[in-house]
Amino acid sequence: MSLRQLLLRLPRYLGASGPLRGPLDTISSVISWRGQSSRSPAQWSQVVSEAEKIVGYPTSFMSLRCLLSDELSNIAMQVRKLVGTQHPLLTTARWWREDGEQCSFQMSRSKGLVHDSQNNLQLRGLVVLLISKAAGPNSVNASCQNYDMVSGIYSCQRSLAEITELIHTALLVHRGIVNLNELQSSDGPLKDMQFGNKIAILSGDFLLANACNGLALLQNTKVVELLASALMDLVQGVYYENSTLAKENHITDDIGISTWKKQTFLSHGALLAKSCQAAMELAKHDAEVQDMAFQYGKHMAMSHKINSDLQPFIKEKTSDSLSFNLNSAPVVLHQEFLGRDLWIKQIGEAQEKGRLDYAKLRETIKAGKGVTSAIDLCRYHGNKALEALESFPPSEARTALENIVFAVTRFS
Amino acid sequence: MPSSHLILCRPLLLLPPILPSISVFSSEATLCTRWPKCWSFSFSIIPSKNKEHPGLISFRMDWLDLLAVQGTLKMPSLPLCAFLLRFHHTTPVACCFSKTLSGEKYTDPFKLGWRDLKGLYEDIRKELFISTAELKEMSEYYFDGKGKAFRPIIVVLMARACNIHHNNSRNVQASQRAIALIAEMIHTASLVHDDVIDDASSRRGKHTVNKIWGEKKAVLAGDLILSAASIALARVGNTTVISILTQVIEDLVRGEFLQLGSKENENERFAHYLEKTFKKTASLIANSCKAVSVLGCPDPAVHEIAFEYGKNVGIAFQLIDDVLDFTSCSDQMGKPTSADLKLGLATGPVLFACQQFPEMNAMIMRRFSSPGDVDRARQYVLQSDGVQQTTYLAQRYCHKAVREISKLRPSPERDALIQLSEIVLSRDK
Repeated sequence: MSLRQLLLRLPRYLGASGPLRGPLDTISSVISWRGQSSRSPAQWSQVVSEAEKIVGYPTSFMSLRCLLSDELSNIAMQVRKLVGTQHPLLTTARWWREDGEQCSFQMSRSKGLVHDSQNNLQLRGLVVLLISKAAGPNSVNASCQNYDMVSGIYSCQRSLAEITELIHTALLVHRGIVNLNELQSSDGPLKDMQFGNKIAILSGDFLLANACNGLALLQNTKVVELLASALMDLVQGVYYENSTLAKENHITDDIGISTWKKQTFLSHGALLAKSCQAAMELAKHDAEVQDMAFQYGKHMAMSHKINSDLQPFIKEKTSDSLSFNLNSAPVVLHQEFLGRDLWIKQIGEAQEKGRLDYAKLRETIKAGKGVTSAIDLCRYHGNKALEALESFPPSEARTALENIVFAVTRFS
Repeated sequence: MPSSHLILCRPLLLLPPILPSISVFSSEATLCTRWPKCWSFSFSIIPSKNKEHPGLISFRMDWLDLLAVQGTLKMPSLPLCAFLLRFHHTTPVACCFSKTLSGEKYTDPFKLGWRDLKGLYEDIRKELFISTAELKEMSEYYFDGKGKAFRPIIVVLMARACNIHHNNSRNVQASQRAIALIAEMIHTASLVHDDVIDDASSRRGKHTVNKIWGEKKAVLAGDLILSAASIALARVGNTTVISILTQVIEDLVRGEFLQLGSKENENERFAHYLEKTFKKTASLIANSCKAVSVLGCPDPAVHEIAFEYGKNVGIAFQLIDDVLDFTSCSDQMGKPTSADLKLGLATGPVLFACQQFPEMNAMIMRRFSSPGDVDRARQYVLQSDGVQQTTYLAQRYCHKAVREISKLRPSPERDALIQLSEIVLSRDK
């Protein structure tokens, strides 16, 4: 069975992991990318598979090299013990199957939504590869001529793409840690959660260690610094995501859209932006090219995130119990237009016996200006990304990068 | 060979077996202060005609003590007393003991090392340059100056020892000092994660990060410290050094994994234990030493010496730590004891005890999970010679470390490193 076929079957394997906790909604809505409603899946997967052809192999094989180790088979055995428990690790990562076949990491949505196995395939890595190809070799600086190049991409750049995915996945796994003193009886036995935490920490650390080793092998201190600072940004971004207000009191953070943008840059934009820049550095491109790559990565990631945030508000058929993140773009914008007091009042009105009626709140938000301004913001970032691309020479790879932006900013 | 030299000795190391002072009087006016080989010596004092020093005194000092002894010259004003100084050749190690270049006296390697480490914790805090107050507070929590800073001390002492060996340079390069910071940061990041994994509630006499702020944030704090260490490492600007220290990060994780698993075969268990000990504890020290030696000296033999010193001291350090888990009581350590047993870990003393009490095998396999296992295992260990065996093993590692480091040119720092390995053995917390 090919990897692709395997991944298409994944929803069935993921199947019954039981009812999941609230924080997972935050995790999945922040991370995953639903490709279904706003654009036809055929179009999106077309974009992705075109892109993959251009870079020479399906990106879903990335980060598999580090899986070839005893530690991870050890982890896999331990993770199996988590099946039947409610630890988030089961749902944020998919490990080796029983027969030892290797899978790439997948992200799933909570509460049984359809799993989009195609669309989450290591997007960051794909973008890094595409931009490496789009920039091409540095015609001026001849020092890279000894590096080997496959499909127009240096092997060090491929390595970098893999490292980016490793870092992303490591933090994804670390997001799944649960606070033991917040557990309720519905979460199951304490020792299951403790065990799950242990495995989650170790797996995340393992991935980070592999990323660090990979970085060391690149023999370029500037790249190491870039990616290490991206990691620091990412950690801070994840910290902001864990806002207690949203979870406990069902209130949006008291932030305006500009703070939101800063935090979202940390949690989403920094890794991709700095990684794109690092890819340029590896090919010894000059500062201007590096900056353009950075800008593309940053704006593309931002528009991706906003797109993801908008999904609950723009689908035609809404499943009523679908919750959304109270710190997502449309909600934060809505709050900014309304003023905090009025917004809190609206939240109060949507609460029934202490539980938030998301469907009602959604309608309230849709009636305001939050959704439309979020769409505008998404397009704004999309345009900035396209502008950054203009400085790259026209090529298949550049077109693919443009198509990605188009797919992300299309809302009809 | 008997010699009639005058040596007034004043030991600088306050080791229990040494008598407070030794006096040897001679009629000769000159004293040869060169000791080309390491000697342990015993000497007996022949009763002299002079009644001032009656009696027979003989004792043995081994060469570590000898290093602490400083020879001076004194003109005798007393009648001749003949003493027999018998020198016994011990290990044929090339070791030079001569007056140190700076003529400095030191009593404490920590003090010597701290001269270069002033502002260590402030500088680390500067690396944790982030805007979020709470995350910053969590990350800085252990950099409060109360830790032993054992690793940074070794690193800067090694840096100087290597620099002096290479070209008599008495400076510590900024990049070498940065390695000290990075080593401490990597160590702390791993501690923060280990505490979450072990669900520990106290460390260094205060609550752990996970107990105060919760597990989610604690994990993030650990990641943050690690990323800050990586940034600092990148800024050192040396790709070899980066490779050396990223190996540490990998070893730390692998060590944790080794701890998760357990070997069924008794024979494999000890090798597994030593491997885990290297990865979790010694690798950081060994590789940081290697890194500063790379920065200070181009000779690969020196890098090897530095690595071997760090590795052997590191393993000894952990072995003694494991011993102290059985022998000390909780108010000295800052963390509770029998901690390893409670975590299901079979450390050195346990593994040795198991050879005498095979009934411990079952307990080891089930990781001391049945009620009463922890106490029973502890009793077995204390009844057996597990503690002594482990201590002896630690001594052997220390001696190896000393043999290695002695290959470097003499300096106060090199001698301090030798002294440190003694301290590792004799610590009680």
